[in-house]
Amino acid sequence: MVMLAAGIVLLNVAIYLMMSVIYRRYHLPFLIPALTATAAVVAILLWFKIPYDTYMIGGQWINQLLGPAVVSLAYPLYKQRHVLVQNLPAILGGTIAGLLVGMFSGLLLAAGLGFSKSYVLSLLPKSITTPVAIQISDSLGGDSSLTSVFVMVAGFTGAIGGPYIIKLFRIRSEVGIGIGFGTASHALGTAKALEYGEQSVSMSSVAMTVCAVVGSVIGPLVAWLMYP
Amino acid sequence: MKKIIIIIAQVILLYLFFQAGNFLQRLLHLPVSGSIVGLLLLFVLLLCRIVPLKWIEAGSVTIMSYLPLFFIPATAGIVNHLDIFSGKGLLLILILIISSVLTMAAAAHASQWLATLNGRHPGRSRWLGRRSIEKGKEI
Repeated sequence: MVMLAAGIVLLNVAIYLMMSVIYRRYHLPFLIPALTATAAVVAILLWFKIPYDTYMIGGQWINQLLGPAVVSLAYPLYKQRHVLVQNLPAILGGTIAGLLVGMFSGLLLAAGLGFSKSYVLSLLPKSITTPVAIQISDSLGGDSSLTSVFVMVAGFTGAIGGPYIIKLFRIRSEVGIGIGFGTASHALGTAKALEYGEQSVSMSSVAMTVCAVVGSVIGPLVAWLMYP
Repeated sequence: MKKIIIIIAQVILLYLFFQAGNFLQRLLHLPVSGSIVGLLLLFVLLLCRIVPLKWIEAGSVTIMSYLPLFFIPATAGIVNHLDIFSGKGLLLILILIISSVLTMAAAAHASQWLATLNGRHPGRSRWLGRRSIEKGKEI
C-alpha cells in the first residue's frame, strides 16, 4: 500500500516536472502544467482502467499539500499589505462586481437554455474555490460533485484564457489583472497570476479570499432572486 | 542540506496553520474553508508581528513555486464526470466559459475604474503619483 502510494506520488511529480519543462520551453497558455499534467493523469487512469479511488491512495498525499499551499499565499499578501490597503475599494468593488456578473450570467444563460434548477444552482458558485463552492452548492440544493467540475472549468478558463482576456478587454493594471484572475478563477487563476508579478498574485489571492466570503453570503440571495 | 531542512520545517508550520484553520472553521461554523481561515490567521499573525516573516518565507516561496502540482489529484477527479463533456453537457461547459470570461472582465474593469477614482480623491493626492506610475506600466 505504501509502495503503491509512493509510486503514484512519484509518477505525479515526474509528470508535473516534465510538463513544466514543456511549458517553460514553449510558454503557450494552454500548456500550463495544471492542465497538461492533469490530462496526462486522466489519460493514464482511463487507459489502464485505474479507478480514481485507487489513484487517490497516493493522490491524497499531494492533495494534502493543497491546504498549506493556500495558506502560503499569506506571504505575498503580507509583502503587499500597503498596496492592499490603498486598493481596498478597488478590491471589494471588483470582486463583488465580478461575482454578480458571473453568477447572473451563468444562471440566466443556463436557465434560458432550459437546464433544470439543480444544474443551474450547481453552476452558481463556479468562480469560488472548490471547498467553499461545494458548501454553497449543497446549501442551495445543487449537486456538489457537478459543482466541483464546474469550478475546474472556471479555473481553467481563467488560467488558460487569462492572457487572451487581458488583451481582448484591454485590462491594463496589475491590480486589475490580479483581481480578474482571483475573482473568475480562484486558486488556479492565482497560480497563473504568479507570472504577472507579486502585486498580481497578492491581488488575486485577496480576490479569491473575498470571493469565498462574499460569495457565501450573496450566493443564496442570487439564488433566491432566480427562484423565489 | 540546511536549507532543505528549513524549507521542510516551514512547510510543516504552514500545514499546522492549515489544520488550525480547519479547527477554527469547525469550531465557529464559518462559511469558508479551513485553508482560507488558515491563510487569514497567518496573515493577521504576520501583521501583528507575532510570526516573523523569516519563519515562513523559504517554505512559502518553495510551496508557491509548485502550486499547480497540488491541484492535480483534485482536478483529476474529473474522470468520474466525463459524461458532462458530451451531448447537452457541452452547452453547460460553453456557458461556464462565457460566464467566466465576463466575470474576469467585469472584476478587472470595475477594480481598475475604482482604483482611478481612488487616485483622483483630493485628500489622497499622494496616491495619485503611485497610481499613474502603475497605470503607465502596460502589461
